[in-house]
Amino acid sequence: MSEQITVTVNGDTVSARPAANTLLSAFLREELGLTGAHVGCDTSQCGACVVLVDGKSVKSCTMLARQADGASLTTIEGLAGDGGELHPMQEAFRDNHGLQCGFCTPGMVLSAVDLVSRNPDPSEGEVRRWLEGNICRCTGYHNIVKSIRAAAKVMRA
Amino acid sequence: MNANATTNSGIGGSVRRREDSRFLQGRGKYTDDINIAGQTYAVFVRSPHAHARINGIDTAAAAAAEGVAAVFTAEHTKDIGGVPTGWQVHSKDGEPMAEPKHPVLAEGAARHVGDPVAMVIAATRRQARDAAELVTVDYDPQPAAVDMKAALADGAAKVHGDLPGNLCYDWELGDKAAVDEAFAGAAHVTKLDLVNNRLIPNAVEPRCAIGDYDSVSGEHTLYTTSQNPHVIRLLMGAFVLSIPEHKLRVVAPDVGGGFGSKIFHYAEEALVTWAAAQIKKPVKWTAERSESFMSDAHGRDHVTHAELALDANGKFLALRCSTLANMGAYLSTFAPCIPTYLHGTLLAGQYATPAIYCEVKAVFTNTVPVDAYRGAGRPEATFILERIVDQAAAETGVDPAELRRRNMIQPEQFPYQTPVALQYDTGNYEATLDQALKAADYAGFEARRKQSAAAGKLRGVGLSCYIEACGIAPSNVVGSLGARAGLYEAATVRVNPTGSVVVFTGSHAHGQGHETTFAQVVSDMLGIDYDAVEIVHGDTAKVPFGMGTYGSRSIAVGGAAIAKAVDKIIAKGKKIAAHLLEAGEGDIVFENGAFKVAGTDREKSFGDIALTAYVPHQYPLESLEPGLEETAFYDPANFTYPAGTYVCEVEVDPDTGQVTVASFHASDDFGNLINPMIVEGQVHGGLAQGIGQALLENCVYDAEGQLLSGSYMDYCMPRADDLPSFQVDTTVTACTHNPLGVKGCGEAGAIGAPPALINAVVNALNGGGHSIAHLDMPATPQKVWAAMQSN
Amino acid sequence: MDIGGEHQIPAAREAVWRALNDADILRRAIPGCEALEKISATEFNARITAKIGPVKARFKARIQLEDLDPPSSYTLTGEGQGGVAGFAKGAAKVRLVDQGEGASVLKYEAEMRVGGKIAQVGSRLVRGAARKTAAGFFANFVAILGESA
Repeated sequence: MSEQITVTVNGDTVSARPAANTLLSAFLREELGLTGAHVGCDTSQCGACVVLVDGKSVKSCTMLARQADGASLTTIEGLAGDGGELHPMQEAFRDNHGLQCGFCTPGMVLSAVDLVSRNPDPSEGEVRRWLEGNICRCTGYHNIVKSIRAAAKVMRA
Repeated sequence: MNANATTNSGIGGSVRRREDSRFLQGRGKYTDDINIAGQTYAVFVRSPHAHARINGIDTAAAAAAEGVAAVFTAEHTKDIGGVPTGWQVHSKDGEPMAEPKHPVLAEGAARHVGDPVAMVIAATRRQARDAAELVTVDYDPQPAAVDMKAALADGAAKVHGDLPGNLCYDWELGDKAAVDEAFAGAAHVTKLDLVNNRLIPNAVEPRCAIGDYDSVSGEHTLYTTSQNPHVIRLLMGAFVLSIPEHKLRVVAPDVGGGFGSKIFHYAEEALVTWAAAQIKKPVKWTAERSESFMSDAHGRDHVTHAELALDANGKFLALRCSTLANMGAYLSTFAPCIPTYLHGTLLAGQYATPAIYCEVKAVFTNTVPVDAYRGAGRPEATFILERIVDQAAAETGVDPAELRRRNMIQPEQFPYQTPVALQYDTGNYEATLDQALKAADYAGFEARRKQSAAAGKLRGVGLSCYIEACGIAPSNVVGSLGARAGLYEAATVRVNPTGSVVVFTGSHAHGQGHETTFAQVVSDMLGIDYDAVEIVHGDTAKVPFGMGTYGSRSIAVGGAAIAKAVDKIIAKGKKIAAHLLEAGEGDIVFENGAFKVAGTDREKSFGDIALTAYVPHQYPLESLEPGLEETAFYDPANFTYPAGTYVCEVEVDPDTGQVTVASFHASDDFGNLINPMIVEGQVHGGLAQGIGQALLENCVYDAEGQLLSGSYMDYCMPRADDLPSFQVDTTVTACTHNPLGVKGCGEAGAIGAPPALINAVVNALNGGGHSIAHLDMPATPQKVWAAMQSN
Repeated sequence: MDIGGEHQIPAAREAVWRALNDADILRRAIPGCEALEKISATEFNARITAKIGPVKARFKARIQLEDLDPPSSYTLTGEGQGGVAGFAKGAAKVRLVDQGEGASVLKYEAEMRVGGKIAQVGSRLVRGAARKTAAGFFANFVAILGESA
């Protein structure tokens, strides 16, 4: 029998028995049906699978599901408010055309939320360096950087 | 370009994208997000050898492993058709290209690292992966053909034993005699050898395919990461699996980027579709990234010698190029046409060069197949032309902008017939040149060079004046050039009884924002609310037909098809309105969403007409069918020709060779713009890929054909920190032959950026006292540093 | 890719030579070796788990000894199939030099090739992995010789 874990996912308590080698990304996608975390690589470089673990951005492919025992997870599905109102970061990505195909977007948005929680007023260079672990093939990052700085401004206010 | 929030939801408005709501909340539906009850998982065993005979495959242990439903090899699939090629090129001597079979699973020999050899299907992904480890393949490694030049030499290892050699075709275009004559009388000849580096497309979503089969109805369904589901249905149904269209549905749901790599029909798609029917269970395959590296079609990979002849005044007299183009081990769907009809035909660029000759030898090698990647042939042509023009400027001491200006086709010369088959309909190249030079403060460069020098950096400026041909067409012409498909687009516009509209388009969207842009076109044309228009794409069961999305054709061909269908709606609406208003059909005008009797205040709203069409109580039933739904197939009269000027400034660190992009300015003429915000985003993305090619990205094979740059650790994808903020603007000359006056914007950045970068790096080094004619891409610190040490 | 090196071994040349032909000692000395079976005087079958960067694979290897010149040199060639991870093959020229007083020096020059996923994902790391494996082998080998001494 697999070991039981209990995690809080987007505010809901979830108990499950993932296999010892189940990655958190696979657990979210395949066992909880939260397909917003995307898997774009197998070497932990692309960042499409980023989720917030106790508020910190983590590539969910670098962590075993069992290591999340007791943690509070926020995935892209849980970022908007209960009434469906978008988080300022989501709003800013839409307003500034910070996404195209949408595949890297969940990771970008959650990674950016973590950045702004650490640094409420990041410079362009700070945003670009922070995004080292998130690959986007569509946007050339121009509008992503713009989106994040715009969101930071709103979140500071 | 105005990308500010706008109240204009019609043509020209930077409307916020409707698709973002789902993508931003993790509610997109990508292929791997789809799970079908009872689904099984496929894993492919792939060749680790670039070239090997396969003496036998032992699948017994894998077949007996836990959860395994089936293990398939070529023994089971040998009666399935090979993966087809959609374009046949003929050589100089009139002979058709060599077209070896591309089996869905390797038959007797593996021809590149990654060639699929066996397919293992199990109840879970993990079981399939574990069982794949148990398949034992008896390989007999053979010498591999890797380098193109060596592959053409006598005695080279042959990729396909049944072919005379590794030459696929030896093609030419242009008037060789006229070119030779012009060279004989030239005042100056510039020569350049260059390599267009091999790239790996790397859409961030890996390919994925799910096959499903209904044994009662005999219907097959394929969910796949495709840019063109109807093309997949046609190729796979007709050529590979022999399934008629009415029993084969192909769905391409949300797709996470394509850049060309998801145009092609891949063996895995056919195999999951076939296997689902064999085992009577849905079969899902999702590529791991390392699998993508060795199975997605690669891009570029040309080796070229080029010569440009000039007269004493710097006028171009003639251009000739000789290119080796890598096909890889098999011919991918559009591979043969990329280095020929999408490359040789573009060699006039923006210039009135009177004579051009181009020859291309396509070569089989033991590498992954090479096909279209963002720009497809046009970046290669632009790189040759814009590098050699820059080199000619350096050799003749003429300013690079001035030399280009002297040779540009003038506005009054349109329509302009180039010596390489294309006829440009419209453009104003000096206008984009002037706009770019001004916006980039080209005149002030020397001051910035001095500033950089004071900080110990070498600064350079580089120009690139590109042209591209988008919306490949028309069908009869491309057919005569070897295309095995038409290149029109289809659209159905369905007006519902209460006046809302659903548009079914064959243009697939995988990041381009069609659901927004196309809705803007329709709402603008019909004068109805933007939110009353829904766009449906990506499902052959819903959309009547389509050729899909590639070559920047969505708005120019797909958008035009929608516009044509809307025109038919309006024409029918006028007939209905004429009946209701008791007026002659010729007296009805359609303005601002209403059908009016010209010169009167009598009118019927669009909604009234829609309702009347479906509740035809007062209706000319004897001459007009009820309902309001129209389909159009639009086959363009010509390509469209976007063009522009890019100005790039770089700083080179003389100690490390590190190149930093200091500024990048793009001025593009895309014709009319529907959504400037989206257009700007397309330019940004193209620029990132162009800069990536020029500075970072490179696909490397070793001499034995092992893929060395096969992960994100070794293949350098552009990160945010590698790129600058871009300055982009546009000029407009409207396309003359499509109803929207649009040209297409998807590939421009990837086409125009690489030569601007390399020109800037060469300029920086030479400005810093070095003497360098050319640097091959990518201009990595190591390469730049080594160049500085040797010259 | 080529690597090479030499190691001082505190045992007489003949003892080292015998150990180099002893399947049990080799199995214990080769890092990751799960099984080593001598199928003839000059042939072994082995099962070895190796980790190169992010790729961990179990290789089924066939090892052959050639150019035998007891007790001073042989050439060892090997080829391992790592399933979906790819393959590795190589050859090592091994020489033993008698130092007298119960000591000898082992010198080797090896070339190695990898293919498939190992080359794709781990090619940069192969040399480091090979050096580490070689170092591990010699440490184990010396220790085992010490036990039996």
